[in-house]
Amino acid sequence: MSYDPIDIALILGKIGLVFFVILTLAAYLVFAERKVLAWIQDRKGPNRVGPFGLLQPLADLVKLLTKEDFRPVGADKWLFYLAPAMAAIPAIMIFSVIPFGAPLTLFSHTIPLQVADLNVGLLLFLALSSIAVYGVALGGWASNSKYALLGSIRGLAQLISYELSMGLSLVPVVMLARSFRLSDIVAAQSGCWFIVYQPLAFLIFLISIAAECKRIPFDLPEAEGELVAGFHTEYSGMRFGLFFVGEYINIIVLGGLAATFFLGGWHGPLLPPVVWFSGKVLAFAFLFIWVRGTLPRLRYDQLMHFGWKVLTPLALVNILATGWFLVLKG
Amino acid sequence: MPKLIIDDITVEVAEGTTVLEAAHAVDIPVPHFCWHPALGKAGACRVCAVKLLDGPVKGIQMSCMLPAQDGMIVSTTDPEAVAMRRQVIEWLMINHPHDCPVCDEGGECQLQDLTVAGGHSIRRYSGKKRTHVNQDLGPYIEHEMNRCIQCYRCVRFYQEFAGGTDLGVMGSAGRVYFGRFNHGQLQSLFSGNLVDICPTGVFTDKTARFRARYWDYEMAPSVCPGCSLGCNITPLARCRELLKIVARRNDTVNGWFICDRGRFAHSEVNDPQRPRRVLVDGVETGFDEALKALLLRIGEVEEAYGTGSIAIVGSPRLALEAALLLPLLAESAAAGALCYFIDEHEAAVTQAAVTVLETSQSASMSDVGQADCIVILESDLREVGPMMLLAVRQAWKHGAPVFLVGKAAPLEQTACVSVEAITLGFIEEVPFGIFEKPVIICGTKRSPVSDIEYLARAEAKLAFIFNGPDSCGAGLLALEHEGIAFRSAVAAGKIKGVISIEADIPEELLAGIPFVAALDWCSTPAVQSAQIVLPTTAWVEMDGTFINNEGRAQRFRKVMDPGLPVKGFDPACHPPHIHRSVPPGGEARPAWQLVAEIISGLSGEEIRTPFSGKWERLRSLDAESPGTLIHEL
Amino acid sequence: MQILKDIYALLIGMWTTWKHIFRRPVTIQYPEEKRQPYPRYRARIVLTRDPEGGERCVACQLCSAACPVDCITMQPAEGEGGRRYAAWFRINFSRCIFCGLCAEACPTLAIQMTPDYELCTRDIMDLLYEKEDLLINGCGKDPVYNFYHHAGIAVTQPRGSGGEELSPVDVRGLMP
Repeated sequence: MSYDPIDIALILGKIGLVFFVILTLAAYLVFAERKVLAWIQDRKGPNRVGPFGLLQPLADLVKLLTKEDFRPVGADKWLFYLAPAMAAIPAIMIFSVIPFGAPLTLFSHTIPLQVADLNVGLLLFLALSSIAVYGVALGGWASNSKYALLGSIRGLAQLISYELSMGLSLVPVVMLARSFRLSDIVAAQSGCWFIVYQPLAFLIFLISIAAECKRIPFDLPEAEGELVAGFHTEYSGMRFGLFFVGEYINIIVLGGLAATFFLGGWHGPLLPPVVWFSGKVLAFAFLFIWVRGTLPRLRYDQLMHFGWKVLTPLALVNILATGWFLVLKG
Repeated sequence: MPKLIIDDITVEVAEGTTVLEAAHAVDIPVPHFCWHPALGKAGACRVCAVKLLDGPVKGIQMSCMLPAQDGMIVSTTDPEAVAMRRQVIEWLMINHPHDCPVCDEGGECQLQDLTVAGGHSIRRYSGKKRTHVNQDLGPYIEHEMNRCIQCYRCVRFYQEFAGGTDLGVMGSAGRVYFGRFNHGQLQSLFSGNLVDICPTGVFTDKTARFRARYWDYEMAPSVCPGCSLGCNITPLARCRELLKIVARRNDTVNGWFICDRGRFAHSEVNDPQRPRRVLVDGVETGFDEALKALLLRIGEVEEAYGTGSIAIVGSPRLALEAALLLPLLAESAAAGALCYFIDEHEAAVTQAAVTVLETSQSASMSDVGQADCIVILESDLREVGPMMLLAVRQAWKHGAPVFLVGKAAPLEQTACVSVEAITLGFIEEVPFGIFEKPVIICGTKRSPVSDIEYLARAEAKLAFIFNGPDSCGAGLLALEHEGIAFRSAVAAGKIKGVISIEADIPEELLAGIPFVAALDWCSTPAVQSAQIVLPTTAWVEMDGTFINNEGRAQRFRKVMDPGLPVKGFDPACHPPHIHRSVPPGGEARPAWQLVAEIISGLSGEEIRTPFSGKWERLRSLDAESPGTLIHEL
Repeated sequence: MQILKDIYALLIGMWTTWKHIFRRPVTIQYPEEKRQPYPRYRARIVLTRDPEGGERCVACQLCSAACPVDCITMQPAEGEGGRRYAAWFRINFSRCIFCGLCAEACPTLAIQMTPDYELCTRDIMDLLYEKEDLLINGCGKDPVYNFYHHAGIAVTQPRGSGGEELSPVDVRGLMP
C-alpha cells in the first residue's frame, strides 16, 4: 500500500488543524465555563484580562507554566509524571476518527474531513476511552496521598461502570448503520438523525458521557467537598493543567461523538457542514456547563445504583427492542 | 454549736459566728460592702439582707449582724430578700457619680460588680446627686468622696485596726464625709490599705493613677522584699512596668494588710538606671562572651595574687536559690572568702539569732497578734518591720501589755499605732511568769550578740527582725559554710577580686580591689565600679524563695518579663513599630542561673536545680500556701 | 409516577438557572464603580472630639477589653485638671475584624465606626494606626455629648456644677 505525498501532507495538515482547534477550543471552553457559571450565579465572571476577559485562557496558561512543579514525597516518579499525559492524549486521539465535515473536493482530490477513516472507528473510540481511565487510576495511585487514592478508586469504578452502558447504548447505532465506520454512521443519518429512532439510546449515551467526563453531577473522583481535589490533589502547574485541559478536550470529543452518533454528524440544512458540526459540539459543551451550574453531586451509592441497575439494563432492553424491530422490518 | 439551714444546706458553726460567715463557710455568696473578714461587721450598707423563713428570728435580716442560732432557716434567694438587696444597690447608686470610665477602681470595684449583679442599669431617681470636695491626702492616696457609699470600712480600718488618728468621719445623714480635718498626707504607716479596703473608688493608688485596668495586669502571688517579715503581696504589672502592689492574704504572716513601705516601693524595679546591659570593661556584649571573660579574669586574678584571693559576696536580699549555690561557687573558684553579709555585727547577730531560732519557738505575726504580752527589744519597728506594729496593736487591743526595752526602742513607734506602751530599762524587769503567751520582738540592728544569747533562755516566743528579706537564709548558710563578713575579709588584705551577687557593698570597701564582677539588678556601687556586669532579674521577674524572720520559706512567682518598660522607649510618643521577640534588657536572667553557669564553667558541674540535700523539699513549695518553716525541713 | 416528578424537578432546576443567565449581574466593577455604604456601615475606626473640641477618649480601656481580637492597645495618662486621656492609642487594623464591639463599649462615644472601608496598603505596618491617625476634628455621630458634663467629677467644670449635681456639701455645717 503506497501513499501519495500529497495525501500524507494533507493528513499531517489535518492533524495540525485538529490539534490547534481542539486545544484552543478547550482553553476557551474553560473561559466559557467560568463566564456561563458566573451568569448563572448573577456574577460577571472573568473580565479583567483583555477585552471582555478574552485573554484569560492565556493568562491561565502563563500562570500554570510558571507555577512550581511539585512532586510529593514518596510519589512514584515516572507514573506520577506519566499520568496527566495518559489522561489528555487518548482524549485527543479519539478525535482522529470523527468526521467533522463533508468530504471536500479540491482539484479532483477528494479530501475526507476526518483524520483517519477507520472501519473500526467506533471500537477505537471505546478502546481509547478505556485507556483514559489509566490516567485517573495511575495519577491517584502514584501521588502517595489518601485523597488522591480515594479519588482514583472512585474514578476507576465509575468510568468502568459507565463505559459499559455507553458501549451498549451505541450498539443500536451500529445495528442501524450496519457499520463501525464513523463516516458510514454519519452517512446513514443523511435522511433522518438517529436520535429520532433511538431517543433512549441517546439519553443513555448522554448520561454516560457526562459520567465519562467526570462532570457534575458525576464528579465524584474530584469531589472537592470531601476529597480536596480527588485524583489530582497533589498535582500542580502544567501537570495539573494537563488533567484540567484533558477534561475539556473530553467534553469536545464526546460532544463530537454524540453529534456523530445521534445528531447526524455534519449533516444539516443551509449552513456549511463544518459549521453544523461545530454548532452541535458547542451545544453539547454548553449543555454540560449548564448542567454543572444546576445539579448537585450524586452520592456514590446512587451513582453505582444508577449505572448498573438502571442504565445498563435499559441499554440492553433497547438493543433487544431495536433488534426485534429490525428483524420485523426485514 | 448552733446548727442552721441556709438555702437547704445544713451548716454547723461556732458560737458567735454570724449568718453571713456561716453562709460563706459553705460557699454561698452573700453580697456585702461594710463587712470585712478582718474588720468584722458594721451593719452600714444593708446589702447582705437575707430572709429568715423559720426559727428564732423571722423576716428580712442583715446577715452580717445576726449571730447564727439553732433552728434558723435562711434563704438568700427569697424574692423578698433579692428585691431588698436590689433596692439597696439602687439606693446606694443615687449619689454615686457616673465616672466609672475615669475611675481607677473600675474593673476591680465591688460596687460595680454588685450593681451589675443586682441588675440595676437605668437610673429611676430624678433628683440631683450630692457632691463633696476632695482632700489632698499626699502623694500616695487619691481621694474622691463623691463615690462614697458610707460603708465605714475606711475609718474602721484606719482608727480601730491600724490605730491611726488623722482620718475620721464627719457630718451627718447624707452628708457623711470620710477624710482628714484638713488637707495633708495621711500619717498612718498603713494608709495604703485604704485602697484595698474601700469597696469603691474613694481611695485609689495615686502612684498608679490612670495607668491600667484590672484585666490588663500581669500578676502572680509574691512576697514583699521590703523587710524580713515576708508579707504576702500581689504585684500588678503592665508593659514590663511594676505599677502597684496590693496585699495578699496569709493569715499566719500578714493577714489581709501590708504596710505603705512595701506597697509603694516599686520605683526600684522601674528605675531607668537599672543595669540592663551585659558589660565587659564598659563595652556591651552577650552573656556567653561575658561569662567567658569572667572565667578568664578569675584565672588571671588567682594567677597574679595566688588562690584564695577571690571573694564571693551574697546578701540578705539575694533570693534563697542563688544563696544556696554560693558555697559551691566559692568552692569551684577556690575563693578565699564566702560572704553573705558586709558588716561584722550584722553577720554575728544574724547567725546568733538563727542559731537561737533552731532551738526555741519563733513567733509568726499571727502569734504576735494573739500574744498576751509583747516585749519590743532594742528596735524601732517603724524602720525595720512596720507590719509587726500592726500585729502588736491587735495584741494590745485584746489586752496584752506592751513593754519597750532598750535605748533603741522609742516610744513613738507604738504611739503611731495608738498603743500605750511601758518603757523598761532591762528585759529582766518584764514579769514573764504571769503571762501565758508572751512574745519578744527583737531587732538585730542594734542588739548586742549577748542579748540574743540571753533570749535563747527566755520563756517566750521570739520574733527577730532582720535586715533583708532572706537574712534568715543567708544566716543559716553562713553558719553552715563558715561564711565571714566581707568587711573583715577585706581587712585581712588578701582579697583582690570580688564577685558580687546582688550585694550592697559600700564604695570604700571596693576601693583597693582590682577586679570586681557584679551580678545585680540594682544600680549599686559594685555595679558602678565593676569590670564585668551581668544583669539579673528583679524579684518580680523570676520565681524565687525568701526565708522570712520567722524561718518561713515562701515562694514568689514571676509577675512580668524582664526588659525595658514600654514606657521607657519613648515616653513622649507611642511604642515603636518594630517586631521584637525579646525587649531591650530582656535577656536578664535570675541570679541563680548565672551562678550555676559560672560554676559549670569553672568546674564542669551542671546544676539543674538549686535545691538539693535538705532543701529539696522546697522545690515543690506552693506560692499560694502559707509557706514552710525551715526548721521542720 | 415518582420518576416523572424527579425529571420534572430536574427540568425546573435547569429552567431556573437558564433564566438567571440573562439576569443583570449583582456584582459591580469595584475600583471603577463604588458602592455608597450606609452611614452605620462598620469600617475604619475614628476617635472623635466633644463639642468643645476636647478629646472624648478617656482611655478607660473598655474598648480594648471588649475587642475579641485584641487589636486595640492604649496607655492612659493624667492630663491637665485631672483629665484622663490616652497618651498613646493604637489600633492594629491588620487584626481588626470590624465587629463594632469597641464602639458599642465606649462610654464616652469617643470611638466610632465610619463607612470608609478602603484600608488596603502594601506594607502591613501601615495598618498600625496611632492616635494621631485616628483622632478626627469632629463629634462623629453625636454632636452634643460631653462625658465630663455628666461624669460627676470636676474636669470641665467646678465640682458640683455639672449636670444632675448639687453644689458640694459643707461638711462642717451644723444644719441638719
